[in-house]
Amino acid sequence: MRYSPKPATEGARTATRRRGARRLAAPLFFLAPSLLVVFAVLVFPILFSLFVSTFDWPLSAGGGDRRFIGMGNYVELSVSPEFWNSLKLQLGFIFIALPVELLFGYVAALLLNREFFGARVVRTLLLLPVFFLPIISGMTWRFMLQPRYGPLNALLLKLGAPEVTWLSDPTFAYLAVVAQDIWRMWPFMFMILYAGLTNIPNELLEAAQIDGAGFWRKQRSLIVPLMTPTILTALLLRIIDALRIFSEVYVMTEGGPGDATQLFSLFTNRVAFGYGKVGLASAMAIFLLALSILFATTLVRKNMSLDVLEEKAGGR
Amino acid sequence: MNRKQRKKTAINLLIALAALAILVVELYPIGITFINGFRRDLVILSGRPFALSQLTLRSYELIFKNPGFLLGLRNSILVGLLATAVSVVVGSMASYAISRYRFRGRNALAYGFLVFRMLPQVSLVIALYLMFKAVHLRDTILGLTLSYASFNVPYVIWMLLPFFTAIDRSYEEAAMVDGCTPLMIFRIVFLPLAAPGLVVSAVFAFINSWNEFLYALILTGVNAKTAPIAINGLIGGDTLTWGQACAAGTIMLVPVFIFTVAMQRFLVRGISAGGVKG
Repeated sequence: MRYSPKPATEGARTATRRRGARRLAAPLFFLAPSLLVVFAVLVFPILFSLFVSTFDWPLSAGGGDRRFIGMGNYVELSVSPEFWNSLKLQLGFIFIALPVELLFGYVAALLLNREFFGARVVRTLLLLPVFFLPIISGMTWRFMLQPRYGPLNALLLKLGAPEVTWLSDPTFAYLAVVAQDIWRMWPFMFMILYAGLTNIPNELLEAAQIDGAGFWRKQRSLIVPLMTPTILTALLLRIIDALRIFSEVYVMTEGGPGDATQLFSLFTNRVAFGYGKVGLASAMAIFLLALSILFATTLVRKNMSLDVLEEKAGGR
Repeated sequence: MNRKQRKKTAINLLIALAALAILVVELYPIGITFINGFRRDLVILSGRPFALSQLTLRSYELIFKNPGFLLGLRNSILVGLLATAVSVVVGSMASYAISRYRFRGRNALAYGFLVFRMLPQVSLVIALYLMFKAVHLRDTILGLTLSYASFNVPYVIWMLLPFFTAIDRSYEEAAMVDGCTPLMIFRIVFLPLAAPGLVVSAVFAFINSWNEFLYALILTGVNAKTAPIAINGLIGGDTLTWGQACAAGTIMLVPVFIFTVAMQRFLVRGISAGGVKG
């Protein structure tokens, strides 16, 4: 085992290759535990899900009741109205919540990107909802939307308006789930966009000022173009996160009323552990997995880089 | 000049007021949870959401006598600490290999970990359920710890990379000249230098586990259930025990609150996984 502190120049790389296995021993030693964990709880479960998804596999039954049906589960999904409904709800959720979160986050980042009394405290406290336990968030929203004694309805009644049974109405329940996410996650957008804004060099802004650029002009030709990569990163991170939303909605509505808030994860969970159709649910799991991997690799390829880390470290 | 200064102060005051208004809206749901923990259920159900009469510690008394919640709290702490320990040990080793050695497939591996970090839990939980049932890991602390390692190990690897790459190599080179083995260099020279990074990633890993719900819901039953599952039980039943649920929720939020305030410098890095371009 030899230790190599050399940077990754081309020369070092070919040297690594030439000396072969002996040089690989040390990194392999350090990587082995993580590879083991990743295989046991990530790679194997994924392969196993693929396997299960080709079976008619009842949850409670013994091995004899399992039947290989090939692509049967995927075919069943493609004609299942419930599947398309949950996909529609999931995509709708993303298409409504994320633009609003982006807008709120961007405006707040512009607004709070200056020093005023208590600025630091405000910026920190704003982030509390992001790290708030998802299930407590769901619980609180469920409480706020209760008929009669929930704060929102109490307010409506006080104003003389008729009360709304938010969570028993399909449309309102769906909107409430979206609103909950907006409340919780726009500060996430704010956080990333604010970090991006503070990275814009002051000289550029001052130069624009001297050139007499107004607010909108500065936005259009300077700030938005400079912020585009950051905005894309934030959106991709949110899409990946929104694709797996579960706990908040589970606690708020359990997917109801009916299937009005049956987002993708909730429906998968219901098919597996409610209907006991493990094979079918695994096919859904694989579908969501493929979708997530697609977005995650896009994000990683476009916006994240080992080399950037190393450059930053080298510059220190 | 004086007028300009006054105008600036006025604008800052306006912005501070706007910020305050935003904060009130954002923090109201957190505030109502906190306050409900100190209100009698009768007051909560009376429909006066701003009434602060008859505050009491009764809900806290009840929740600290509730065996289900206590077990859940114990398990949450236990699984949180175990999952954190496993992921920091395993993750720091992997992160060290990636930041210090050049080997074939290094990039693919590093980016692979990053993608693994972002996989949806619901896609894994069905297979984990079947696997754990087969090897009798379902409803055990060990099983839940393992499942939490699935998101925490990749997470810690990428949290640590920027800390690790920033450490100067000269210490390790000196140790190598002195004839240390790679493991000795890692343990005796490198880890102490990386201590701040280790603390930060440990704290993030703990909060990830602390907030987790889906794995705990599916992979545990009676013995290994965590506090969020117990709280879900409190609001799912027929009897409305908002007071207790909110008291329990407030208890769960204490570490989260401390975390957000103490870790504010690292929050952006924590949610964007480091290495973000631009």
